Amino acid sequence: MDFDFIESEQSLGRKITACFEEDAVALWKLSEKADSAEMQSELLKWLGRLAPTGYLSLAPEGGENHMRLALAQEALAAISPELFLTVEVSTRIFGRLIADFGTEDQKNEILPGLTAGEIIGSVALSDSEIEFDKGPRETSGTLVQEGYRVSGHKSRVVNAPVAHWIAAKGNTEKGIAVFLIKNDSAGIEVGNPLNTLGYAGCAISDISLDGCVVDSAYVMGPFEDEKVVRSLLAWEDQILTAASLGLMKRSMDAATAYAKGRKKTGKPLIAHQEVGFKLAEMLSLWQTCQLLFYRWAWMADTKDRETQTVRHCAKAFCAESAEKMASSALEVMAGEGFICGNPAEQDFRNSKYLQISGTPSAQSRIKIADNLLDKG
Amino acid sequence: MGDFQEYFGEIHEMVRHTVKRFVEREIKPYVDQWEEAGEFPRELYEKAANAGILGIGYPEAYGGSGGDIFVKVAAVEELMRCGSGGLTATLNSLDIAIPPILALGTEEQKMRLVPPVLKGKRIAALGITEPGAGSDVANIRTKAVKHGEHYVVNGSKTFITAGVRADQLTTAVRTGGEGYRGISLLVVESDTPGYSVSEKLKKMGWWTSDTGQIYFDECRVPAGNLLGEEGRGFYGITANFERERLQLAIMANMTSQMALEECLKYACEREAFGQPIGEFQVTQHKLADMATLVEATKEFTYRVAAKMDAGVKQIKEVAMAKNFSCTVSDRVTHDAVQIHGGYGYMREYLVERLYRDNRVLSIGGGTQEIMKEIISKHL
Repeated sequence: MDFDFIESEQSLGRKITACFEEDAVALWKLSEKADSAEMQSELLKWLGRLAPTGYLSLAPEGGENHMRLALAQEALAAISPELFLTVEVSTRIFGRLIADFGTEDQKNEILPGLTAGEIIGSVALSDSEIEFDKGPRETSGTLVQEGYRVSGHKSRVVNAPVAHWIAAKGNTEKGIAVFLIKNDSAGIEVGNPLNTLGYAGCAISDISLDGCVVDSAYVMGPFEDEKVVRSLLAWEDQILTAASLGLMKRSMDAATAYAKGRKKTGKPLIAHQEVGFKLAEMLSLWQTCQLLFYRWAWMADTKDRETQTVRHCAKAFCAESAEKMASSALEVMAGEGFICGNPAEQDFRNSKYLQISGTPSAQSRIKIADNLLDKG
Repeated sequence: MGDFQEYFGEIHEMVRHTVKRFVEREIKPYVDQWEEAGEFPRELYEKAANAGILGIGYPEAYGGSGGDIFVKVAAVEELMRCGSGGLTATLNSLDIAIPPILALGTEEQKMRLVPPVLKGKRIAALGITEPGAGSDVANIRTKAVKHGEHYVVNGSKTFITAGVRADQLTTAVRTGGEGYRGISLLVVESDTPGYSVSEKLKKMGWWTSDTGQIYFDECRVPAGNLLGEEGRGFYGITANFERERLQLAIMANMTSQMALEECLKYACEREAFGQPIGEFQVTQHKLADMATLVEATKEFTYRVAAKMDAGVKQIKEVAMAKNFSCTVSDRVTHDAVQIHGGYGYMREYLVERLYRDNRVLSIGGGTQEIMKEIISKHL
């Protein structure tokens, strides 16, 4: 009993690393400058490369595959944070939403293309100017003869400019529903990609829905409770935590390589205690985060009753640690770390997104405390 | 999904139950009194042995009850629940003194030196640190010169946990030249002429521990007490460090866990401005941070333990576990006292002792700085 990942889990991680070798980051930089159509075409190439590895396959309905994916997610997030986020939003959030809550027809129409890497999906959750965990206040669907007429404004939607399908969450008279909308449908307007602090290579934009008619065949719900919202947040937290680990690996690798390759006063930087000790702290923090994430993955797969609390612990801890790691890497790399395009510099900017997306750190703390005090 | 699994099973729960019962009956009712007195009764060793606690994790051939590394983890965790880090470390001083005997000793040495300790008849301690060499183990000065069938030992050891009452001291001595190749391990028995002990050292925490300084003055130790070959002691010491550091990490984790639990109770009971302080978001966030850190550090430590049990070298990892767990316990005990306010500063509150007892954990078994040195060298 060595308490480690089984061979198939390790193998998927290795496949992802082998899949991209050294060209991923370089190629991804091209997409930062491309327009939406070019970005979509580029993304589909990468998705096509990922599909044969099994990375895009989904867990069986109602099942979990956190452990199966943990190492692979971490590997991909380290190779390209932007590609990782794009793929995960498309597959793990949009795809899983359909797999778990969709009708058989919806699954049959969309999932084969998605898992083959031929389709990109997006999920539009946040309405403008609402509290994040109270559900939508603005986007709503009104029942009409053809289905639902949907109107509202979604903000900061990852993948929106490159997605073939957008799943928009909205209110109906009978509860929350999710509307599956093709990107070229009448009444949907996808905004230009937004300039952001980090994740510059991701296509993120606002969406306006103005009387967009959605056939009933493309509606999930209405749901009586908020299970769908809770599920979406949990899935989002999972990928953001994995993204944190990927960032940490990048920062660690970059700082270590720099400290070993540079000399100061006749000896490698790493031989200076100030640098060596900083790297030691970084490594300890990174591995602690990894193990907490794996712990959560294991608990989620085995449906442990403490899963949700550990999820919030892991999400907040890993996201905040990613920023600390990137900051430390910047310090180790000094001026070179400050130059744009450097992994540590990118990670420093990217890390903020991880703290404010999904369940934000402050909200995670409230959830953890609620759980603790109920027990106490 | 398969190999990544729970660390504790039925056997470990039985161990927990045994130790918990012992702690409730034999330690908790008296621990405050012992803390103030600065020691616990020597009979506690024998009581612990009779309850099967001292033998946990040791080979049955020498009087132990066997088991994997997690039986030891479970035992230490439950023992820590007595609320005294000093008592836990001292009652468990055999855990750093006996492993070198088992690893390097002959069968005769093992049969002679181990069973009496596991029976609680004799107290075993480990003597490495000297007034002039702590973290710098390779620089120890206590000398052992062979004369016929004996080693003549001169020098001193300090900060020795259970040192004042120890009957046998697994001692690092210099039998050869400078550096780590000149170090050997010798078991020195306290009734050897020339062996003397200082008064108990007064300390910031760990009050129940009879920490002392040992002096060797022309102390003639039988050559039959040399563990392994001459000059191999350093390897025995470093191998032993892995388990010692793991144990210290576990103690730090339990310190944090107990501090958190105390805070949860207090946050529900104590009111300020008309409501329990647990209702204030600033308290909630503090508790959430504490809980998150405790969860993270426990998982790290367990994973390192699992790898050690599977025979995977964990020199770097156990250093990381010790450092991280101590960093966490530093912060958690600090915040625990803060949450308790003035009461946290009072002797009758457990968090006050946890705060004091915690401080030594990032010093003993290798300082935080030495741990970082080890980690950075393995990068």
